Amino acid sequence: MSKLGINVTRVDGPAKIRGWAQYTGDIELPGMVYAKVLRSTHPHARLARLDASKAEKFPGVVAVLTRDDFAGQKSTFGSVVKDQGIVATERVRYVGDVIAAVAAEERDIAEEAVDLIEVEYEPLPAVFDPVEAMKPHAPIVHNERTKAESFPSKSGFRLEAGGNVLSVYHVEEGDVGVGFSESDEIFEDVYSSPKIQHAHLEPHSAVAYWEPSGKLVVYSSTQTPSAIRAQLAELFDLSQSKVRVIVPYVGGGYGAKTHLRLEPLVATLARKAHRPVQWVLTREEVFLTAHCQAAVVKIKTGVKRDGTIVARQVEGVYDAGAFALTSTNTARNGGEVSGGPYRIKHQDLKTYCVYTNTPPTGPYRGFGVPQVCWAYESQMDDIARRLGMDPLELRLKNMVQEGDVFVTGDKLISVGLSNCLKRAAEAVGWQGTAEQAPRVLSGKVRGKGLAVMIKTTMTPSNSSALVRLNADGSAVLLTSSVEIGQGTQTSLAQIVAEELGLAVERVSVTFPDTDVTPFDQSTSSSRTIFTMGSAARQAANQIRQQLLEIGAKVLEADIDDLQVVDGFLEVKGVPEKRRSIAQLFQAKYGAAVGNMVGSYDKQTTGGLDPRTGKGKGSAFFFMSACAAEVEVDTETGKVAVQQVVSVVDAGKAINPQQCHLQNEGSMIMSLGSALFEEMVFDNGQPINSTFLEYMPPSMEDHPRQFQSLLVETPHPEGPFGAKGIGEAGLGPVEPAIGNAVANALGGIRFKDLPLRPDRILSGVGSVKGKGG
Amino acid sequence: MKIEIHTVVNGRELQPAVKPNQTLLEFLRDELHLKGSMEGCGVGVCGSCTVLVDGRPVSSCLVLATNIEGKQVATIESLAVGDELDPVQQAFLEHQAFQCGYCTPGMIMATKGLLSSNPQPTEDEIRDYLSGNICRCGTYAEVMAAVKSVSEKLAMNLTSPPTAPPK
Repeated sequence: MSKLGINVTRVDGPAKIRGWAQYTGDIELPGMVYAKVLRSTHPHARLARLDASKAEKFPGVVAVLTRDDFAGQKSTFGSVVKDQGIVATERVRYVGDVIAAVAAEERDIAEEAVDLIEVEYEPLPAVFDPVEAMKPHAPIVHNERTKAESFPSKSGFRLEAGGNVLSVYHVEEGDVGVGFSESDEIFEDVYSSPKIQHAHLEPHSAVAYWEPSGKLVVYSSTQTPSAIRAQLAELFDLSQSKVRVIVPYVGGGYGAKTHLRLEPLVATLARKAHRPVQWVLTREEVFLTAHCQAAVVKIKTGVKRDGTIVARQVEGVYDAGAFALTSTNTARNGGEVSGGPYRIKHQDLKTYCVYTNTPPTGPYRGFGVPQVCWAYESQMDDIARRLGMDPLELRLKNMVQEGDVFVTGDKLISVGLSNCLKRAAEAVGWQGTAEQAPRVLSGKVRGKGLAVMIKTTMTPSNSSALVRLNADGSAVLLTSSVEIGQGTQTSLAQIVAEELGLAVERVSVTFPDTDVTPFDQSTSSSRTIFTMGSAARQAANQIRQQLLEIGAKVLEADIDDLQVVDGFLEVKGVPEKRRSIAQLFQAKYGAAVGNMVGSYDKQTTGGLDPRTGKGKGSAFFFMSACAAEVEVDTETGKVAVQQVVSVVDAGKAINPQQCHLQNEGSMIMSLGSALFEEMVFDNGQPINSTFLEYMPPSMEDHPRQFQSLLVETPHPEGPFGAKGIGEAGLGPVEPAIGNAVANALGGIRFKDLPLRPDRILSGVGSVKGKGG
Repeated sequence: MKIEIHTVVNGRELQPAVKPNQTLLEFLRDELHLKGSMEGCGVGVCGSCTVLVDGRPVSSCLVLATNIEGKQVATIESLAVGDELDPVQQAFLEHQAFQCGYCTPGMIMATKGLLSSNPQPTEDEIRDYLSGNICRCGTYAEVMAAVKSVSEKLAMNLTSPPTAPPK
């Protein structure tokens, strides 16, 4: 029986429901001490004086780390630009920037010692808004920037040399000037998305120690163990074989746990302390460590009266915060698809990534796409309204189809988007143009909305897998893919089990340990099933071939006549002619001992030329549709989401239930950012950085009608046709809700997220004020 | 300075000396090495650290260890007896009511609290009661299904928590 397309019970289930699952913050090592850090209270300042002598003398303190420890030493890092210090040296650049660190026998001792560190600031002018930061006389966040050695040449964006603009992505098709002149109607709007929190429940955590041989060992709640190993090796002048990164269970990340975060500091502190050091952030510190890039998106679209989109020009500004990390890539990723999943003859798409004196960002589920999707899909409904067209028809009329060439130059394959949208519309009982009929704005009013999305995945990228088959017919998959909640250990076990004809329970999947498990680019970009899944399948296939070859000799049969079923190799149609895996090991080694090993490097190829923005942008494309129904209270401004339906194209659902769980996660997450999530700052000071003031959606926010649907349009390169799914549903939820609100309110359009009651009320009020 | 308290944690009588500023969560995790109760927010609103004190769910990050003097504390580690899972754990496993698992112990303990005071909750009551347990992975539909299934089994007397063998 196939191991695919079925809901295998998760392998991590028993540990998780017993409270037994180990996360990085649970680790206790002999002699371990605890880190706490001093953070800047100024958004931008020169560090005039720093004195940690009192902290150093405080009983129970083992080590203190300040800029004095790095005099003349390499201490900056970053995946694209080396702009982050282990601690601040000359300047602090946001409220929360790390100035010094203490390691102590107990956490509260470390905390008390941090309070004893004396610091004097000389405040500097600061800039908090990315559009302001682009202006000529704006305060400069970074005076100089050094490109990272590992910076890939085909990232698509251009790095700027100075100013606050860090990078620009630009791609063109046709001539928008001509396109706009040929258009019957022009639409110009500005949309915005605020800073939001990943709000993974497990805070960033890391433990580090140095073996006497000089090897650095790091446990980390990271999504990118291989990248961290490489970057730590570079930072500490070690060979990669002298850095070992181990990742236990990770309690959610959604992008925030990619690339170096806590590791450089905790490793440096451990070296100075000569003890293992653990650092677990508080929730408030998580708010100061990573968040989703805020964005302002200008969008201009020209259409024919029949609904044909002729031209689209987009200019998006993404706020990187104080450090680059991979915000450059996020902005590019948004830019590539900012025209939407539509056939548009003339396009001019540009995004900027800009420094500000606000906390650093991190890739956030959706990777720059929800910000542009909010813009183009909201505007699509306004276009439909002005043209008197059904928003569903308008989308279908312009939608990309199988074999189309996308603006990046990619040939689109495995395109199931029209199907996704039709199913979403059907599920909410979509009534065509009637959905945009005028409304009387009193009491509670209802409306429905639709939206679609297209997104790329990280390309090129690399995943290696190693499979060991044991003589008893059990197998181990060695992989650096992180079990972060997405069920990767289960679905990868299913793939290996399918390829080797084993029961899923007989396949175990390792946790990442870079001493043992092979390279993986990252557990992000919803790439694991596609890329690591392909590698795992191919690695298992190599063993399958070995079994077949041995079996062909032993059973005196042709390889093509053999199959592996439930731990046996048998002649097709002659089930009594079979051998167990143990017997095949016997045949090979003379005893049922040893391993058969398969290993495979899956490399996706492509990348974009920074000069043209074109090339092969993505190994596969995510596509999804969402339909929502809301009830808007015109007296209070409160939006209640009655119904959400999300339809995503999984290619092939290896484990349908896991696909639904991931998709439901995307849906509820973006419901929060549609309605109420936003980080608020006052002159750079965060004012809602706890879960008391910033609350992710709870069960009470969960819509009563909530449906995740899967479409399966197989992808030729994915394992068994599978594509990624982790982020696919995220983009269209916000605009679907926004469009539902607009339809409920007879066309009042809200362009700034979230759809807060005060915004709704002022929108309703302005219409009532005009019309009575 | 430490204060000696008398308490029962997961059925074991203890007489520890605790620091006056130590939270129950720190006591459980650092002193007793019970790592199943998780800290998510530190301000008592995310529910990851939920344990039962005298049968009622509390956020252990908000309670001082000294406050459990004379009280009975039950953590996630106490639910299963040997290989036998508690019915709530069993339901969470069967309904796949978790993803990253970080909120799961707290969610399960809150469910224990709910069902012990209200074995037949309505859907609204479940939503209300569990609204203090955040699951950022968004696994609410599956949690709802799991809680309902335990409640239905309780109604039919089909299930009871495992009991420890006599010592």
